[in-house]
Amino acid sequence: MATETTERPQVATDTKRFQWYKVRTGMFAWMLHRLTGVALVVYLTVHIWGLRTLSDADAFNALITSYHAPIFKVGEFLLLGAVVYHALNGLRIVLIDFLGWSPNQKRLFWTLGAVAAIIMVVGGYPIIATLVSHFFG
Amino acid sequence: MKLNVKIKRYNPEEDEAPHWETYEAPADPLDSALALLLHVKWYEDGTLTFRKSCAHGICGSDAMQINGENKLACSILVQDLVSGDGDTVTFAPLPGSPVIKDLVIDQSRFFEKYRAVKPWMITDGPAPERERLQSPEDFDMIEDATKCIMCGACTHSCPSTWADPDYLGPAAMLKAYRYNLDTRDDGSNDRLDVVDSKDGLWKCYTIFNCVQACPKGIDITRWLSALKRQAVSSQL
Repeated sequence: MATETTERPQVATDTKRFQWYKVRTGMFAWMLHRLTGVALVVYLTVHIWGLRTLSDADAFNALITSYHAPIFKVGEFLLLGAVVYHALNGLRIVLIDFLGWSPNQKRLFWTLGAVAAIIMVVGGYPIIATLVSHFFG
Repeated sequence: MKLNVKIKRYNPEEDEAPHWETYEAPADPLDSALALLLHVKWYEDGTLTFRKSCAHGICGSDAMQINGENKLACSILVQDLVSGDGDTVTFAPLPGSPVIKDLVIDQSRFFEKYRAVKPWMITDGPAPERERLQSPEDFDMIEDATKCIMCGACTHSCPSTWADPDYLGPAAMLKAYRYNLDTRDDGSNDRLDVVDSKDGLWKCYTIFNCVQACPKGIDITRWLSALKRQAVSSQL
């Protein structure tokens, strides 16, 4: 694009990468997709780094034991949420791009959101039960 | 009713940076947002600068950010922006482009991208003696996309455009769709070379801000997805 344009004074504040903008369904879905995507990459790195101890049985057992702490149970629940959301919204994007479901994108978001909630309840039950029995049991 | 009109002002000859100014304006629920700006310019501060021409949603001059969202000032009513007396309506220039003054942005990048997709009919054979005919069914495929008035509300609402100033953006690629799916056109491959690139289609993450912003209600994401499918099937 080599069209010549007149040099004009530029305002840095209005060409920044991030802008304040009203968040609607589509942008919300995308921001959450990015956030969970980055979180999952961080998780995978930590996860594989943890497997380093596989060569030493004692170290591995100690690591696995530490994973029973409540903080890791909370983390496990968040991990489930991130995976479920990222997978289902990924499916939403596939349906939009491959099948042209764009006119239904908002309904699709809320429908898959309901599916995600069900999976979170069913899949998260053992985690929540463990946490409840740890603190109140 | 009386409304507060909050405008992001910027005069490059006097101001270091843009700043907000608030004015009071009388308004009727059925007034357009543009009427608020005109009131400020005519009765409060004549130096207020913004683009507007037809004021009927055809020329596409007065796209700007109203209440945090890109809209066409002449095509949005006061009753859809406020809930009652004393409410505030904010006006800012379209985000993501340099500001020339107040609400006027430098559109040169926007139109460079428009020209880059070759938004004209490209044909192989000799020109017919009379006009090139198109069936109503063939026109149906591109009708929605032909409604574009080039106001720029979509491209300047796109987070991909904010992050990558070279990204072609929804408006330009919608034009590519409009001509690539036109049955009278033979230039699909020329345009796919441009849009099937690092700064093209694949930076559309289906965020839908463009669809939300379009004053003509064009489902831009739907047509960009169709163009993505065309780009993929042309490789098979």
